[in-house]
This record gives sequence, C-alpha cells and structure tokens, in this order.
Amino acid sequence: MELLLQTLLNGLLMAGVYALVATGLALSLGVVGIVNFAHGEFLMLGAFLSYLLFAFRGLDPLFALGLAFLAAFLVGALTYWGLIRPVLKAPELNQMLLTFGLSILLQNLALLLFGADTRVVAPPYQAATLALGPFFLGAVPLGAFLLSLALLLSLQLFLTRSRLGLAVRAVAQNRLAPGLLGIEAEGVYLLAFGLAAALAGVAGVMLSVMLYASPSVGFLFTLKSFAIVALAGLGNLKGVVPAALVLALAEALVSTYLPGGGGLVEAVFFLVLFLALVGRAWRGA
Amino acid sequence: MRKALGLLVFALGLALAQTPLKVGVILPLSGASAVAGKAALNGIQLAADEVNAQGRVRLELVVVDDGTDPAKAVPAFTKLMTVDRVDLVIGGLASGVTFALSGPVKQYGPLFLCIGAASSVVEQAFEGYPLFFHYHPWDYHNVAAALQFFQSLAKDHGAKKVAILYEDGPFGSAGIGVYKQQLERLGYQVQAEPYKAGSGQFTPILTRFRAFAPDILYWIGYDVDALPIATQTRQVGLRPKLIYGAPPSWPIGFEKNPLSNDVAGMTAWLPTVPNAESRRFVDAYRKKYGELTEEYMAPMGYTIVKSLALALERAGSADKNRIAEALAGLRMNTPFGPLAFKPSDTGRTKYQGFGPEIWFQFQYLEGSRRPVFPKDKAARPLRYPGEYYLR
Amino acid sequence: MRGILGLLLLFALLPFLPLGAWGAFLLDVGLFILLFTALALSWDLVARTGQLSLAHGAFFGLGAYGAGLMVPHLGTLPALLLGSLLAGAGALLLGSVTLRLHGLYFAIASLAFSEVLRTMALKLPFTGGPIGLPVPPPFGGGWPLASYYLAFAVLLLAVALSLWAERSSFRLAQAATRQSEAVARVLGVRVVRVKLLSLLLGSLVAGLAGGVYAMKALFLNPYEAFSLGRAVEALVIPIFGGLYSTLGPLLGGVVLVGLEQALRLWIQEGYLVVYGALLILAILFLPRGLLGLLGGRRG
Repeated sequence: MELLLQTLLNGLLMAGVYALVATGLALSLGVVGIVNFAHGEFLMLGAFLSYLLFAFRGLDPLFALGLAFLAAFLVGALTYWGLIRPVLKAPELNQMLLTFGLSILLQNLALLLFGADTRVVAPPYQAATLALGPFFLGAVPLGAFLLSLALLLSLQLFLTRSRLGLAVRAVAQNRLAPGLLGIEAEGVYLLAFGLAAALAGVAGVMLSVMLYASPSVGFLFTLKSFAIVALAGLGNLKGVVPAALVLALAEALVSTYLPGGGGLVEAVFFLVLFLALVGRAWRGA
Repeated sequence: MRKALGLLVFALGLALAQTPLKVGVILPLSGASAVAGKAALNGIQLAADEVNAQGRVRLELVVVDDGTDPAKAVPAFTKLMTVDRVDLVIGGLASGVTFALSGPVKQYGPLFLCIGAASSVVEQAFEGYPLFFHYHPWDYHNVAAALQFFQSLAKDHGAKKVAILYEDGPFGSAGIGVYKQQLERLGYQVQAEPYKAGSGQFTPILTRFRAFAPDILYWIGYDVDALPIATQTRQVGLRPKLIYGAPPSWPIGFEKNPLSNDVAGMTAWLPTVPNAESRRFVDAYRKKYGELTEEYMAPMGYTIVKSLALALERAGSADKNRIAEALAGLRMNTPFGPLAFKPSDTGRTKYQGFGPEIWFQFQYLEGSRRPVFPKDKAARPLRYPGEYYLR
Repeated sequence: MRGILGLLLLFALLPFLPLGAWGAFLLDVGLFILLFTALALSWDLVARTGQLSLAHGAFFGLGAYGAGLMVPHLGTLPALLLGSLLAGAGALLLGSVTLRLHGLYFAIASLAFSEVLRTMALKLPFTGGPIGLPVPPPFGGGWPLASYYLAFAVLLLAVALSLWAERSSFRLAQAATRQSEAVARVLGVRVVRVKLLSLLLGSLVAGLAGGVYAMKALFLNPYEAFSLGRAVEALVIPIFGGLYSTLGPLLGGVVLVGLEQALRLWIQEGYLVVYGALLILAILFLPRGLLGLLGGRRG
C-alpha cells in the first residue's frame, strides 16, 4: 500500500512537467494550427540559459525561470513572425517540414556553440527532500509540479477572464469568426506561439535542475508531449492535464511493479496511447 | 660500409620526412558519439602536429565524419579509400558503425587502427583480417576490470548486495548477463533493472530497490543519467554504501556539484594520472587547445598517432604491411601505461593493444576525480561507505 | 516521365560511368540514395490517401530484421521477400485497427506503433536484442555490385508502383480519399480498401528497402533499424521534392540525400545547420517542392 501510494505520488509529480511541455504544444496546435517539431528546442533554450547563468554568473536557476520565460517568448514570437506567418496558409505538411528544419537548425547550432556534452547545474536544494511520514517527495520535482500547476492555472484564468485570452480562445474555436468579431487574429497567433515557447522555456529550466542541459534534452519530452496532446485530443487544452496524468501514472506503475519494467516504460506509454487513439476512433465513428 | 648503410638509412628517413604519409581518419564528429569523436580528433591532431614538428616522418591527415551512422560511414570510408587513396585508417569509435565498416575494410584492405569499438561482436567481424589493430580494450576486459573492483569491495569492505541499473541500449545491456552471473559467483546478491537512457526517471525503480537495501548501486549508462541518479537516490531514501557508475564520459560541471561527492566510477585515464607520458600529453593539449580534456578518447587518439609515427620510422617505408610489422613489434609508453600488441584473449584477432590493466576506479572526492583502485594506481583510499545522505 | 526515365537510367548506368576516383564513393552514396528514395516514394504512396505515416521507420526495420534473420537460412532473395512480407503484415495489423484515424491522429498512432515494435526488437529472444544482429552481405558477398543493383531494383519497384497508382483509376480513389473521405464514399470509393491497400503497398517497398539496407550495413540494432529519424526522412524527402507524385520524391531523394552527404564532406562541423536552413528556405520559397521549380505541370 505504501509502495502504491509512493508510486502514485511519483507519477503525479512527473505529470506536472509533462503537462507544462504539452500545454505549449497544444497551444500552438490549437490556436495557430501548427505542429511544431521545434518545440523541444525552446525547451533546450531554457535549459542552456539556466546552465550558462549558473556556470558563468553563479545565478541560481530560480532566477533563470523568469528570464527563460521572457527569452523563449521572444524567440517564439520571432519564429512566428519570421517563419510561421508566411506559411500559415500553406499545407499542413509544409508547415511540419518547416518546423522540422528549424528544429535541426537550432539543435545543431547549439551543438556548434556548446558541443554535445551533458552539462549540469548545482543549486543547493537540488536533492532536498520532504519526508511525509513514510513518503518521500523530492523538493525540486514538487516545486516543478507546483509551478507547472500555477502556470497552467494562470493560463486558464488568462484564457477565460481576460479580453485577450478570450480572443485566443475564439481563434482556437473558429478561425473565421474572430475576423468577424474584429479581433486581430495575427496578434493572437503571435501571443499564443510566444506563450507556447515560453512554457517550454520554463520547463527547460526545470529539467536543467532535475536532469541536465544538452542539445538533445528536448527530444524525449517533445515526443511524449506529442503523445499527450494526441491523447487529449489535438489542440484541446483542457484535456492536456488529465492525459499527462494518465500517461505519467502508467509509466510509474509499470516501472515500479513490472520486473524489468524500466525498459518497458516507453513501450507501455505508447501502447496506452495507441489503444486510446484506436479505441476512441472506433467509438467515435 | 656501415657508414654507407647509415647514410642510406638517413637518406631514406629524409625521403620519408619529405613525402608525407596520408592517414585517413574516420570518426563520429556528429551524431550520438560526437563528444568522444571530437575528443579523439583533438588528440590525433595534437599528435600529428608533434610528429611533424619533430620532422623524422611526416603525416598528413584526411579527416571524415562518420555521423555515428552506417549509411554515412560507409560512403565516407569508401571516399578515403578511392578518392584520397589512403592505405592507413584510424577510426572505428562506435561499435555499430565499426561493424558496418568491416565490409569495406575487407574489400579495400587498409591498415586499420581501431580506436574504440569495445563490443566483442566487432571482434568477430574482423576475425581473420590481417591488418586490424585494436587499441581499446574489449568489453570482456571492461567486465574483468570492474569485477576485480567488486571482488575487493566484497573482501575488504564486506559488500554483499548489488543493485544494477542498466540502460537498455547496446552499451548497457551487452554484458549484463555475464555481469550478473559473475557477481553472483563472487558471492553477491544481485538485482538488475533496465531503464531508458536520458529519461531521468529513476524514482520508481529506486523506490523498489529500497526493499532490497543494496550495498552498492551500480549503474551502466550514460553521462545524462549521472545527476538524476545522484539526486533521486537521495530523494527516495535509498542508502547505498557506494554509488558506482560506468558511463563513457561524465557530465561537465558534475565535479563541482556536491551531489557527486563519493560517487565512484571506472575510467582508463584522468588528466591527473601521475605518469610522465600523460603529463606531457596534458601540457601539450592545454597549450594547443587552451583547455583541459577529461575524455579518455583524446589521449587514445594521441597514442594511436604516436605509435603509428614510431612504427613508420622503424619500418622506413610507407608500405602498409611493413608498417604493420613494425607496429606489431612495438613497445612504447603511453598516457595509459605501456603499449604492446598481442593476440586477443579469444584468439580471434591478432593485434590487441590495451587490456583490462588500463582501467582503474576513481571516486569524486572534494570536487575532483581521484583514483582509488587498484592499489598501485590509487591516490586516495576508497571512501566506503560513501555519504549520500540528505543535507 | 522523361525526367523519371532519365534519373532511372542514370542510376542503372552509374557503376559504368567514367567517374574516375570518385566512382566508388558515388556508388556508395548512390546506393543509400536509392534506398531512401524508395522509402520516400513508399511514404508518398500512403500520403496520397491523406494518411501521414510515421510508421515507415518501423516497416523499414521490420524488413531489415526479417531479411537479416532469414538470410543465413534461406539465401538473399527469399529473405528479402520474407522481410518485405513481414513489413506488410505489420502494415495490415496497423492499418486494420487505425483505419478510422486521420491525419495527425494516424501519425501519432503510427509513431506509437513503431515505438512498441522497437521495444519488441529489443526484448524478443531471437533478434540479438540490444547488442544487435550481424547480417551477411547479399549472395555471400561474391558480387560487389549486388547490393547496389538490389537497391536499384527496390527503387524500380517503388517507381513502378507509384506510376501505376498515378496512372490508373487508383489515383482518383486515393485523391478522393485524401480530400474528403465522406465525399469519396458518396462517389463509391471503398475508402477502407484504398487506405489499406496503399499502406500495404507502401510497407512492402519500405520493407524491401530495409532488407537491402541490412545487407549493406551488415549490422542491425533496434535503435537504428526502427529509428524515428528514418521515418521523418521518409516524409521530408517527398515534401522537399514535391508531394503526391513520382518525380517529386525521386528528385527530392537525389537532391536531399546527396546534398547531406556533400555538405558533410565539405562543411564538416555544423553541416546540419546548413541542412536545416535549406529545408526552411525550401518551404518558404518553394512551397510546392522542387517540382515547383520545374514549372509545375501537375501538382
């Protein structure tokens, strides 16, 4: 029982970061309608920013959080303005190839600048742990979870309460209507794409503390985020958190209870996803 | 007469010094093994500079990138053979790529100086090829070296239980069966769990290990896993007496992280090893590149070029068979210790450079890596039990 | 059509062209161009029904492993055939459960499918697991040009299938399915069959390409054989060259795979930065791929 609860806790904490990365992806997909293969590179940006500030300025990654949010927002907005906007009306496959090219470019630029080495930061609280009775909670994963939650909640508030947020949602629901309502769709796209990148940038800082910074740090999380977004229903922002939860819990349970489960985590993750997609298609049709 | 002969040799030497010998270098400069590949290339270029500056022989390097991918490595190798027309190739770092190269190598027949490719599958692929010089130890040598350490841990420190985390790619899983068996033969209780490298999620597995209460947490994986394992071990309240890892390289900045303290690992070389050749290498490396390297592939590349230059000088000819002959009889000191070629333990290949003796164990102590085992290489005693408690 | 024939003729004669010192190198590059172009064509064949497949890496891997495991027992050609059939079986399995999924949903489902298959290749007892599987060269290695012409044959097959699909009534069925399944149904197109058949044909070709690749690479491991990178390459080439056509992927394959090899030789460090930039520029300025350059007859 204790083990089960601990396992569920582990899964829950992981789900927070997954949801943060996936929400960004869902934003660009749901609002702008772009499948962004370069999402992981925004995450990498955050991770490297955190590393560089730590290594050369001695700054705690906590400071990097805000900076990464801004920097990634800026890069995201620039990406939208320079690259995405010209292909908004192009076929979906063209957009995908464009973001794929961007992903290759950014990743290899990072390789040129920093090399493929794995880099780590060392804030004093890195391994700090809260012991609640028999349960252990890593302070950083818990913090990352809470911050993810807070960010997602404020995003939710922004989308439902503010005028600008309502405009974003309007665009997400119908790409024709906003024009009729006098909303500048382009500005909304820019905002949504920037926000998506900013969320990834923040997640990157978190990962630099929990894991490492390297040009390839974004890959695995982006792959899983695609899975989460698909499970949630493409572009469906509300479904992202439950979907992240389902997949993270499945992972934690498998790797705790199945002998040799650590090697099967990926397979189970994708099997769950596969079955869910297929099941929904058959029910829905 | 002797004088004339001496003059002749001198003239020959001069001729050699003037016409440079083209040497092909095929390394992963992009793709998964790029870190090690670039380190190796730095070492190779440094040695070539030194050799050319001495002026007894001249080497001209032709470098190509194998991309850590057979589909890129095979054409690149063919180019070395047919366009650049080299008779001599240094390369073969990643095992899978080296295996793919075994076909074209046999087709074109160059002298192949192999820098990495520890998997013994590669040894089978090159079985019977007469011009294959393998410098790096084979995987069974690595296993032997680690087991020696485990034997000492059991005997001198009373360790009884090992929990193994191994990544489920070729690197981590190749020797796992043998490892388990051998550790059990040494009297250990063993639990082994696979994981996916880079995922950073060890909490569930480590939580499960808690019931097993291992003395040693042994991880066979990559640099990306170092920090997550060090933090999550503490976070789940696992209390191993030693965290021991065997990644090909370690993260940059890990030594400055207090969480690395007391973590132990295996390597073939550290910039601090007290060996005259190594010191010379470190000084020269710093002078040329302005920084230090921690990657053992750098001195490995350096060693290969140095040995090649010496063999070339002794052979007095640019003929690959004569060079191979000279190389086979060579004895020299390297940053790793003495080098001499002998048939491999399995008898499959004829020229094996280094063996288990170059491996040693180190521990992160006070912000740097210090050799702790075997005794003749130890700079410090092993801290056992290590302190991996919450702070 | 003339372009296609010209390119094919060039490949057929490549081993006999007086290319001097570069001959052997170009032949090796040519072989991988042939294989990846065939893979790209097989992807395009599926894409013409509107299905965005990320499972082509898996078909490639199934073909590679199937052929690799069977070569020592059956000989080269039967092994290739078996590998291809294995890929086909995988496609039928995938297709029959996912035929109601569209676009990105299908893409993600097919991605999940290949991740699961890769794990199976890692865990099954007879695949060599993570250590990998050595594969002998075709026909015992006796004939150096064997693998090249096998690759050429795979491309020929891919081109033939693609031309057939382009020129028969199948083209209309595919196009209708791609544009709107509902409308296609009304028009009397048996959507399910069209999608399944396209996927099957595509997977057979991808499987063959994988088999020949195995015999050239001489060694397989699950991470490489089932790599996502391969699946993405299969989709990048047709988009770059020009979608839903035979000439497009063909041109795309020759240019893109060749370009990557060339960039790697000349630029070396950081060549992928240039590669990525070229992809971006291509999309921005050649929205219809290389075919657009040729003064777009049919899109």
